[in-house]
Amino acid sequence: MSVIGPQAQTQIAVPPRVRPLEGGSRLEWVLMHIVFAAVTLFFLAPFIWLFTAAFDAHAQAYIRWPSAPTLDNFVQIFSRYAFATALSNSVFVAVSTMLLTVFVVSLAGYSLSRIELRQKAWITYAVLLLQTMPLSATMVPIYGLARELGLRNSYLGLILVHSAIELPFLVWLMKGFFDSVPRQLEEAAWLDGRGKLRALFEIVLPVARPGIAVAAGLSFLSAWAEVLMVLILVDQQSMKTIPLAFYETFRSAGGYTEVQYGLVAAMGVLYVLPVMAVFFATRRLMVRGLMSSTRGL
Amino acid sequence: MGLTPAALLLSLFFVGPSLWALYTSLTNKALVGIDAARPRFVGLDNYQRLLSDPDFATVVLNSIVFVVGSAIVGQFILGLLLALLLDHAERRRYRLATIPYAAVLLAWVNPTVIAGFLWVAMYDFYYGSLNTGLTALGVGPVDWLGRFPMLAVIIANIWRGTAFTMLIFLGALKTIPSDIYEAARVDGANAWRRFWDHTLPSLRPIAALALLSITMSTFGTFILIQTLTNGGPGSATETIALYAFHEAFRSYAIGYGSTIAVVMLALNVAFAVLYLRWSRARA
Repeated sequence: MSVIGPQAQTQIAVPPRVRPLEGGSRLEWVLMHIVFAAVTLFFLAPFIWLFTAAFDAHAQAYIRWPSAPTLDNFVQIFSRYAFATALSNSVFVAVSTMLLTVFVVSLAGYSLSRIELRQKAWITYAVLLLQTMPLSATMVPIYGLARELGLRNSYLGLILVHSAIELPFLVWLMKGFFDSVPRQLEEAAWLDGRGKLRALFEIVLPVARPGIAVAAGLSFLSAWAEVLMVLILVDQQSMKTIPLAFYETFRSAGGYTEVQYGLVAAMGVLYVLPVMAVFFATRRLMVRGLMSSTRGL
Repeated sequence: MGLTPAALLLSLFFVGPSLWALYTSLTNKALVGIDAARPRFVGLDNYQRLLSDPDFATVVLNSIVFVVGSAIVGQFILGLLLALLLDHAERRRYRLATIPYAAVLLAWVNPTVIAGFLWVAMYDFYYGSLNTGLTALGVGPVDWLGRFPMLAVIIANIWRGTAFTMLIFLGALKTIPSDIYEAARVDGANAWRRFWDHTLPSLRPIAALALLSITMSTFGTFILIQTLTNGGPGSATETIALYAFHEAFRSYAIGYGSTIAVVMLALNVAFAVLYLRWSRARA
């Protein structure tokens, strides 16, 4: 699997392998399941803590079943920490980013797919280079540039920068989907007297629907999770999104020991639930998409 | 043209900032004061300073330790082992293997701030789950973030990133045709022989690409370390990514911070070129 689209897509069609190994000894079964348990414990323990602490009025840093499960922490983050503002900012920015990204990458992917590409190798280079550029290296320059352009503390700045993050990969991905629509099909539609735009909507877009779904899901998730750019672009209270509010709530405590774990865990639960929902609803598509985007979340 | 919006966005947030960083790295631009309003052109001064900066040497070393430990040793090896385990489980039709699989994915898809926070709680000296567990086993509490900060961030990053390598190898294992195994089995090769002679060699080309991918993404890791240790204690976990940020925003030296950013970008170009060479050789 590779960073960029084309190879990733050809590998989607993996032939179903039929080589079951039946049987295996009872000892092997036991050993394998002990390993399963250990792996699950390591990867799941932090989440078990998160979800138990969020419902515990006296949450500690260790995992314990809340003696009297309560929604206190959730009530408090809304009443005392203005979580509603962060939540609505996050929803607005992530949804706008998703809409803008889908529009931009569909347009660009379609154009790339329909024009004669001579410098294909160079475009591949450019996509790869842009897609692997570490965001942490662009923090300082984007801060400087955004200050000069007046894009700090604005929804527009956040939406634009978040749309740019997954753009190179998603354009390439969409191009791949549009490539799979035979040009003759489109041309036949034109001959039938349909306009170019109508042919695009009626013939081409339906075929590219899985690509649009991946683009929508990935751009939403990455905008929802992104925090580096929020960190440098936002310092007004009213503009903060969830990751920043979350980060500051547990950082402002000073040391590690004075963190109000229950409150932060409640914020964390509300923050990860949409991610888990979107991800597990579209698991196969997302895994494929994320693997070839390398940016991760 | 349909490409215009995409090109505009990319130039605004990738190309523009890169050029801006390149230019600013040649000035003494600061965040506040006279040097903020009227930065002077200082030529290659910042680059010279970088070469003789003992802190920079430290953060380069830290970055190498972090990348080697968490990406090359941790995520790569653990990811490979998990892939082999789950692939084997699938062939044996062990249904419960879905649970560890989902758990690994869950750690991966989460926003990084969450990962950082979860591990802050895990590592808490007095009450953290890790030390509570260790105390119960009679090993006693360990001051993870104080005494072994680098190991702590490496473990957290392995936890977070292993899914990527695991998925890549799982995909690759599925493409190995089963008749190779059948032939080997008929030849009387035992499980180890089959593994060394057939499974591993067929994974080698994809392994190189996977390694480079995770190296690139690990190299740029910022928020996980920032939330866990903020680069400390002292500068024990300060990597290049954090150093650029801290120089620019804590010491207000935007020019110098940009210089570090330029170095990071250049390294990334080198990685990417290498990546493309290798993936071409593969095709």
